[in-house]
Amino acid sequence: MIRHEKRRLSTEYLIPAVLFAAGLVFLFPLIVTFTNSLMTESEILLHYGTKLSVFDLMDLLVVKFRQIHLIPEQISFGQYHEVLLNQPSFLLLLTNSIKITLPVIIGNLLFSMLTAYGFTIWQWRYKEALFMVFIVVMLMPLQAVLVPNYIVADLLGIKASYLAIILPGVFSPFGVFLMRQSMKVIPPAYFEAARIDGASNWQIFLRVVVPQLKSSIAALLMLVFIEYWNLVEQAVIFIDRYDREPLSVYLSRIAEGRIGLVFAASCVYMFLPLWILLLGQEDLEKGIELSGVK
Amino acid sequence: MGFILPGMAGFALFFICPFLLSLAYAFLDKPVDGSFVGFSNFINLFTNKAYLLGFGNTLKCIVVSVPLNMALSLGAALLIRRLPSRRKLFSLLFLIPLVIPSGSTSFFWKAVFAYDGALNGWLSGLGLPGVNWLDSSLAFPVMVCIFLWKNMGYNMVLFLAGLSNIPQEYYEAAAIDGASPWQSFRCVTLPHLLSTGILTCILSIINSFKVFKEIFLITGSYPHESIYTLQHFMNNMFSSLNYPRLTTATTVLVALITLFTQMLLKLERRASA
Repeated sequence: MIRHEKRRLSTEYLIPAVLFAAGLVFLFPLIVTFTNSLMTESEILLHYGTKLSVFDLMDLLVVKFRQIHLIPEQISFGQYHEVLLNQPSFLLLLTNSIKITLPVIIGNLLFSMLTAYGFTIWQWRYKEALFMVFIVVMLMPLQAVLVPNYIVADLLGIKASYLAIILPGVFSPFGVFLMRQSMKVIPPAYFEAARIDGASNWQIFLRVVVPQLKSSIAALLMLVFIEYWNLVEQAVIFIDRYDREPLSVYLSRIAEGRIGLVFAASCVYMFLPLWILLLGQEDLEKGIELSGVK
Repeated sequence: MGFILPGMAGFALFFICPFLLSLAYAFLDKPVDGSFVGFSNFINLFTNKAYLLGFGNTLKCIVVSVPLNMALSLGAALLIRRLPSRRKLFSLLFLIPLVIPSGSTSFFWKAVFAYDGALNGWLSGLGLPGVNWLDSSLAFPVMVCIFLWKNMGYNMVLFLAGLSNIPQEYYEAAAIDGASPWQSFRCVTLPHLLSTGILTCILSIINSFKVFKEIFLITGSYPHESIYTLQHFMNNMFSSLNYPRLTTATTVLVALITLFTQMLLKLERRASA
C-alpha cells in the first residue's frame, strides 16, 4: 500500500516538477529574449552595453559585467517600432530570408511528392537500389554536400544568385524519402479501385494520394521551413554582400550596430517558426518520427 | 516513370554529378586541365594541421554529444511518458529550441558566456574569479551544452514514438513476474528500443554537424582551437577556393559517413529481424 502511495506521489508531483524545471531551463533563453524585447533601448544599453570610455580605461580592473534582467523597468514597444518602421535594412534582410525560403519550400514539396509518387507506382527491378542512392545522400551532413553544391553552382554560373542555395534545397532527397514513407501507408486497394474506375495516374495522384497525405505535407513544409529559416552555412559560402544576407546570419551581428534593437529583431524573426510549431506540433512530431523509420 | 523524371534529373544534376566530380577532383592537382596525382591530395590533407584539428574536434564533438544527447532525450521521453496528463505541453517545451533560428539566441548566449558576460558577473558576485568561457578549453563543454539545448527535442520525439510501439502487455507481464522498474526498463524497454536507438544514433550523428550554426554565430570564423571544427576549416578553404583540398576533404567525409551509416543500418536490420 505504501509503495503504491509513493509511486502515485512520484508520478503526480515529482515527474511534472522535474520536467517543469527542465522546461524552464530550456525556455530561459527565449523568456529573456522576449521580456528584453519589451525594454526601452536605453535600458538595454544600460544592461548590455560595454561602455569603455577613457575614464573606464583608467580603472580596467573593475570589469562591468553584462546583466540579464527579466523584468523591464517599464514596458515599451519602442524596439519593435524602431525595427519594423525605421530600419529599412531589417526589412530588406527579412525579405532576403523569405526570397530564399519560400521557393525552397514550394519547390521541394512539389518535386518530392511527384518523385515519391513515381517511386510508388513505378515497377522496375532496380527501383529499390535507386532509392538507396537517395537515402545515402539524405544521410549526408550538410558539410559534405556544400562542396558539390558549390561545384554545380560554379558550372552553371549561378554562384552569385540565390539559385545556388535554392536549387539544391528544392531537389534535396529528404522530402522524397518522407513522402514515399507516407505513401506506403495508403492501402493498395485504393489504387486498384481507382484504376478499375479508369482513373489515370495523374487523377489517382491528385484525387487519391494527395488528400491522404495532408499531415505529411504539413510536416515536410514545417521541417524544410525550419531548416531554411535558420540558414547559416550556405549563406556564409555563397553570399558575400551583407545586404544579400538572410536575417538568420545577420541577426548575430545586428548588435554591432544597435544593441538596443537586438531582442525585438530576434523576436520578430522567431515569431513565425514558433507560431507554426504551436499550430502544427503534431504534424511536426509526425514528420520527425517518419524520418526515423527506414 | 514520367513522375520520377523531373525530380530525378534535378537530384542527379545537383547531387550525384557534383559528388562524382568532387571525387574526381580529389585525384587531380587542379580542376581545369589537371593531371592525375594519385593520393597526394589525401597525403597533403592528412598532414595539414588545421584539417587535423578540425577533424579531431568534429569527431570529439560527435563522440561526446551523440551519447549525451541520446541518454538525456531518452530520459526526458521516459519521464514524459509517465506523466498522467499534459504530455503534449511538456514535449512542446523541448521542441521549442529546435524551431527557433540560431541567430535569434546568439546575442543571449554571448551575453551569458562572454568574458564580461552575466555568468562571470554572477561568479564574481559570489567572490569567484571570472572564467574565459568562450576562449579557453571550456568552450568545448559550452558548445556541447548549447547543442544539447537546441537538438534534444528531435531525439525525444523519436524515442517517444519508439516507446509507444512497445506493447503495454510486456510491462504488465514483467510486473506480474515481480520485476522492479529498473529490471523492466533493462529487460523490456531497452531491447525493444534497439532498432529505434540505432536509427536515432544515425540521425544524431548527422544532426551533430549542425552545431556549427551556433558556434559560428557566437564566435565567428576563428574560434578558440578547442571548438574549431571541420566546417571552419572548409570555410577557410572556400575563401581561398582551394579545390583539391576542398574536394579531398569532402571525399573523406562522404566515405566515412557512408561507411558508418551503412554499418549502423545493417546492424539495425539485424536487430529488427
